[in-house]
Amino acid sequence: MKTAKIVLSLLLIIIAIALVGYTLSSQGDLRDLVMRLDPQNLSSADSRMLKARDRVLDGLAEGDRVRDLRNLDRYLEDYGPQLALDGENGLELFVYRNGPSLLAAGIALAVIGAALLVSQLDKLAKLRRPAIYLALAAVLYAGVYIVENIAGSSSMLMTVLKKGAIYALIAVSMNLLNGFTGLFSLGQAGFMLVGAYTYAIFTIATDSRAQVYQYYDGGLVQFALPTLVAIVLAGLVAAFFAFLIGLPVLRLKSDYLAIATLGFAEIIRAIFQYDGLGPITNGSNLLRKFTTFDTVLFPFAVAGVCIALIVMLIHSTYGRSFKAIRDDEVAAEAMGINLFRHKQMSFVISSFFAGVGGALLAMYQTTVQASAFKASMTYEILLIVVIGGMGSITGSVLASFLFVASSEWWLRFLDNELVIGGVQVPLLRSGFRMVVFSVVIMLMVLFYRRGIMGDKEFNLKRFLQPRVRKGGDVRG
Amino acid sequence: MTSVADHTLELRNITMQFGGVVAVDSLSLHVNQSEIVALIGPNGAGKTTAFNCITGVYKPTNGQVYYQDQLIISNHPQGKMKALYAGQHKDAYKEVLEPTPDRITKLGLARTFQNIRLFKTQTAFENVLIATHLHRTSNLLTATLRLNYAEEKRMCQHALDMLEVVGLADLRDELATSLPYGMQRRLEIARALATKPRLLLLDEPAAGMNPQETDDLGRFIVDIKQRFDLTVFLIEHHMDLVMDISDRIYVIDFGRLIATGRPDEVQDNPDVITAYLGVDEE
Repeated sequence: MKTAKIVLSLLLIIIAIALVGYTLSSQGDLRDLVMRLDPQNLSSADSRMLKARDRVLDGLAEGDRVRDLRNLDRYLEDYGPQLALDGENGLELFVYRNGPSLLAAGIALAVIGAALLVSQLDKLAKLRRPAIYLALAAVLYAGVYIVENIAGSSSMLMTVLKKGAIYALIAVSMNLLNGFTGLFSLGQAGFMLVGAYTYAIFTIATDSRAQVYQYYDGGLVQFALPTLVAIVLAGLVAAFFAFLIGLPVLRLKSDYLAIATLGFAEIIRAIFQYDGLGPITNGSNLLRKFTTFDTVLFPFAVAGVCIALIVMLIHSTYGRSFKAIRDDEVAAEAMGINLFRHKQMSFVISSFFAGVGGALLAMYQTTVQASAFKASMTYEILLIVVIGGMGSITGSVLASFLFVASSEWWLRFLDNELVIGGVQVPLLRSGFRMVVFSVVIMLMVLFYRRGIMGDKEFNLKRFLQPRVRKGGDVRG
Repeated sequence: MTSVADHTLELRNITMQFGGVVAVDSLSLHVNQSEIVALIGPNGAGKTTAFNCITGVYKPTNGQVYYQDQLIISNHPQGKMKALYAGQHKDAYKEVLEPTPDRITKLGLARTFQNIRLFKTQTAFENVLIATHLHRTSNLLTATLRLNYAEEKRMCQHALDMLEVVGLADLRDELATSLPYGMQRRLEIARALATKPRLLLLDEPAAGMNPQETDDLGRFIVDIKQRFDLTVFLIEHHMDLVMDISDRIYVIDFGRLIATGRPDEVQDNPDVITAYLGVDEE
């Protein structure tokens, strides 16, 4: 069994290397490929086709991969039947077109193979779990990347994935506070706003500032930070706000804490729109022209790293004391856990990641306006946390993708009027989507209160071996 | 005042008043190093309140607590309580020292609770593991990034050892609340032991146990006392247990100390009998 697995892992690695090598070697000149696609004997009647081919070849000189592929597509569409497309250059064409996807698949395969190998070697037993997680991450990211290449980065699926990843991060950050530390806080939108604004303010290109801050003489800040630095800064500023607010607020219990944090979120929204702060926040005007992302991999990468950090925190000794506080404050304190300090830690960390999430949301929306960060945004996040299950990270992640997909995509048809056989279907009109959505959520909370995952985590082992008999001899 | 040199714990005139109700009235007592001392009294006598004063859950209205010669808690009637105060020794103490329970635990006093307070969503092992948190040397960052690998291993080992001591090692992965009652009590003791205390405060450890279990518990307490070189201060209702294992006993009624001494002395004390059986009207 073990030998078979080792052989399999080596085989995977070899296949991966072959795939990557072949892909790289076929990423040569498209010009060469186009020439070879030509039939050998062109008569004068084919002059139009020759011209089209020349256009493709001319276009290639600029070295724009996306344009190349588009030109090639058109050429193939128009003259495909007359070209000498056979199995060999057809494959070459496929490999050329899907080069990046194939590379990603190759790397993912290599990582899976390596992880499998590591998990079978007794000497590396300590690395078993990290290796498995790395393999899962590789599969996920390669999968997302390939789907993006096929579906196009502005497709609905990608929109949902982008927003879903961002909401997942924010939901997990809220779960850290509400689900794992037992602090019922409703300030998430406020911290997202702080993060979004911090990010936007510090990444607007210097020469666009005059235009963005047109009512405030170009604003106060006259420099731009690198994207990642600005994202971390967004988290830090949100965390700093949380630290200050936490000093008085964290001494309150349950409902009072919720009200106080909700109040904070509302106040901060008003403050950011205050005209006097205009040179920094642009008053109640939009902030725009800051750095954004166009590939879905970016929010996936940032959210993935952040969520991984939160998970590691939860499994550390500090995370255990957060859970102790949630379960029983009195007992936790009697075990030597400083309640205030640990609550503050949890609050500040949660807000840090909410700030990072806010920055990502700003990038996703490409514009930021304080008035958009309403309390309803916090409720959306809270809903995701509840649907996913308080105290389940995987639940929150799953629920945010489901939530975003249904609100942005799957229930969209409810907003469009529909006429079947001359009869207009009743109720379907703009706004009906939200009604249905609310009903679904109400049903969910009424009958499925513990959410999708309860407080359990998705367990790969249990998922793969669902039928472990009691007392039976289970060999992996 | 006498010297406190060899007293592990000393209470001086501890008074706890809730509004007009005096729950503990000028309670003074001391526990010597390596003793097992019991605090007994009828229901509502103020035993648990006294415990809560020692462990920082309540701030005593008046009085002081010393631990190993060191003043750890001190208070005097302040504000509204100045007028309301109905205890004694009103002007004896002027210092204010009100540590939170976690500070007290860090000093080396660990407690269990009368109504078991385990972390309900967690396993027996995790319950004990949490108690090792207070001796951490890692900070948030190193702990999150698993740079404290050695420390984490030590914590787990220590928690396992404590489970072993109370005989729950086989049930380590059971949910704390799914354990039988007696085992939950033991788990609470294991959790308290995991904080590495010098003084163990047990709040009615035998509550709800049958005579057999109570017997076992008594032996167990003596055993861990010797094993970890502990001092034990306990509140108990079960007279058998108290008489068996205690070196000295304090009896309180209506918050006041009514008798003290060796078990056999206390047993024959008329005041104690009255307090427990009630006064004969005739």
